Amino acid sequence: MIRNIHFTITGAVLLAAFGVGCGTTGMNPHGANVTEMRPDERGFVAGTGIESQDLVAVADKMARSILATTQIANAQGKPNIVLEPVVNETRFPINKEIFLTRIRVALNTKAGGKVTFLARDRMDALEKERDLKQTGKVTGGVANAPVEFKGADFILTGKLQSISTRSNNGSSDYVLYTFQLLDPRTSAILWEDFAEIKKQGQSDAVYR
Amino acid sequence: MNKACQLAAVALLAAGCAAPEIKKAPAVSGDLVEEGRKLIAAASEKDKILWRYRVALVAMKAGRFTDARQLLDECLPTIGAILTADERTIKARSLFGNEAQKIYVGEPYEQAMAYFYRGLIYWMDGEPDNARACFKSAQLIDGDAKDKAFASDFALLDYLDGFATAKLLGDGSDMLRRARASAVSSKTNALTALPDYDRQANVLAFFQFGFGPLKHGGGRYGERLQYHVGHSAVHSVGLKIGEQTLHVSALDDLSFQATTRGGRLMDDILADKGALKKPLDAIATVAPVAGAVLAGPKETRGTALPIIGAGVVAGAVSNAAEAMADTRTWNNLPQHLAFTAFRLPPGSHTAAMEFFDRDGKPLPKLMRSLTFEVRVGRDTVLFISDQ
Repeated sequence: MIRNIHFTITGAVLLAAFGVGCGTTGMNPHGANVTEMRPDERGFVAGTGIESQDLVAVADKMARSILATTQIANAQGKPNIVLEPVVNETRFPINKEIFLTRIRVALNTKAGGKVTFLARDRMDALEKERDLKQTGKVTGGVANAPVEFKGADFILTGKLQSISTRSNNGSSDYVLYTFQLLDPRTSAILWEDFAEIKKQGQSDAVYR
Repeated sequence: MNKACQLAAVALLAAGCAAPEIKKAPAVSGDLVEEGRKLIAAASEKDKILWRYRVALVAMKAGRFTDARQLLDECLPTIGAILTADERTIKARSLFGNEAQKIYVGEPYEQAMAYFYRGLIYWMDGEPDNARACFKSAQLIDGDAKDKAFASDFALLDYLDGFATAKLLGDGSDMLRRARASAVSSKTNALTALPDYDRQANVLAFFQFGFGPLKHGGGRYGERLQYHVGHSAVHSVGLKIGEQTLHVSALDDLSFQATTRGGRLMDDILADKGALKKPLDAIATVAPVAGAVLAGPKETRGTALPIIGAGVVAGAVSNAAEAMADTRTWNNLPQHLAFTAFRLPPGSHTAAMEFFDRDGKPLPKLMRSLTFEVRVGRDTVLFISDQ
């Protein structure tokens, strides 16, 4: 009886040891394949921060909202808009121009020429080109020509704010995106809209 | 001795006399950042972030902030992500897997430092709001300490968060209060080290002193993540720039930050592994002795072999089981951080720096000067390390 038990224990331990020896590393030696995704799709490398799908969703929402404002929809002529970088108050470092660039592109695509955007971020290059023309170094200019750079009818800007929490149970981030269309003459806020996104997640136990 | 034996003896002698193969040392460029990049390239995927951290800091000390920026930008997406279970993490959790098999992202104090350095570079690049974002993230990462008294308690991170806000015409007073409270709890003279914000200050000087904490495995199987506390001879620095004299004291202590996180969830997993290894080790020790004893009498001889076998197998299983904590360390971090901000007119300036120990005695060997350019339209950020 005792002998049977001993053999059973030994057998079980040997089997376990054999199982250990046969275990594979489970690593994929070839690495992961590159997956092409839509920018409005949530990827498998995900965090709780500002991601491309948020940019697309927020920019599209804002573009639609701006086009519906009376100042734009019923404007006489084509209003000139200047983009000012958004203010980032979140915990996520971002490229501050990308939101407004995405909104501008969406507006240009959807508005069919209802508004004109002024390239203030290119003033250095524009002034250089104007000076070259006015000094006769390149064609197309007249000396002492009056200023032709347009002033803004509206300034479009925004602010990103967040509430973030973190504990052993995971991370949570709420991001509020607000955008405003300002009248530079009166400082009046002509339009304002917002979008909000909350995300939470928890890393695997080995990272906690 | 026959011929065959003689030949064999000569062959053995020749083999014994063979000159060892001399391998040439790999060519090194003397450029630490470039050599670091080679180490990153050669490192396994799971260790790349560790090497990027180290090389980024080497680059910062060498004033190569473009390199540091790029290296840190390669780390932040991973450490900022939600790291879900994959084959590596499952393996790291298993009895026979080592914790160091997981992708290294570092302990919270290490992750916080990666964000801190990136924030410093953002400020240097004229983006104080993105710098603030990094300081906020760094502080949040420090937020999951078990004892909430030590959660998000980097005094400097709150101070810089508030300072960036003040510079951006916001109200940073809440952050200043928090920073001072953290400084007091870490026994720093808060009012001296953290003065009221000066929005007109256009030169920001970041200092770091000494050698930071190093990880090691404590407990019987190295299953407890423990730290060798770092050290620093320097505790403060004096700056003389023209007529202006400043004294800057050490503020945050990275060993304090590393050792006050409290237990990790992974520690429980490692403790379980250690608990499993213990009886297996006991079987491995006792079983051969018991087997040898039982092998003597004729009537128990049959049971001896299985018992010895069980002991051998238990030993093998225990040896294969991995309970060791992950001790990979960002090993060129400092022990102390310090900061000051002041006003200077645009142009070239030279700062004479003198370092002092805990008792305020000067450390003449470390004296040095730094020449820098103050630009118009953005803050000038200086990064000074005593090492």
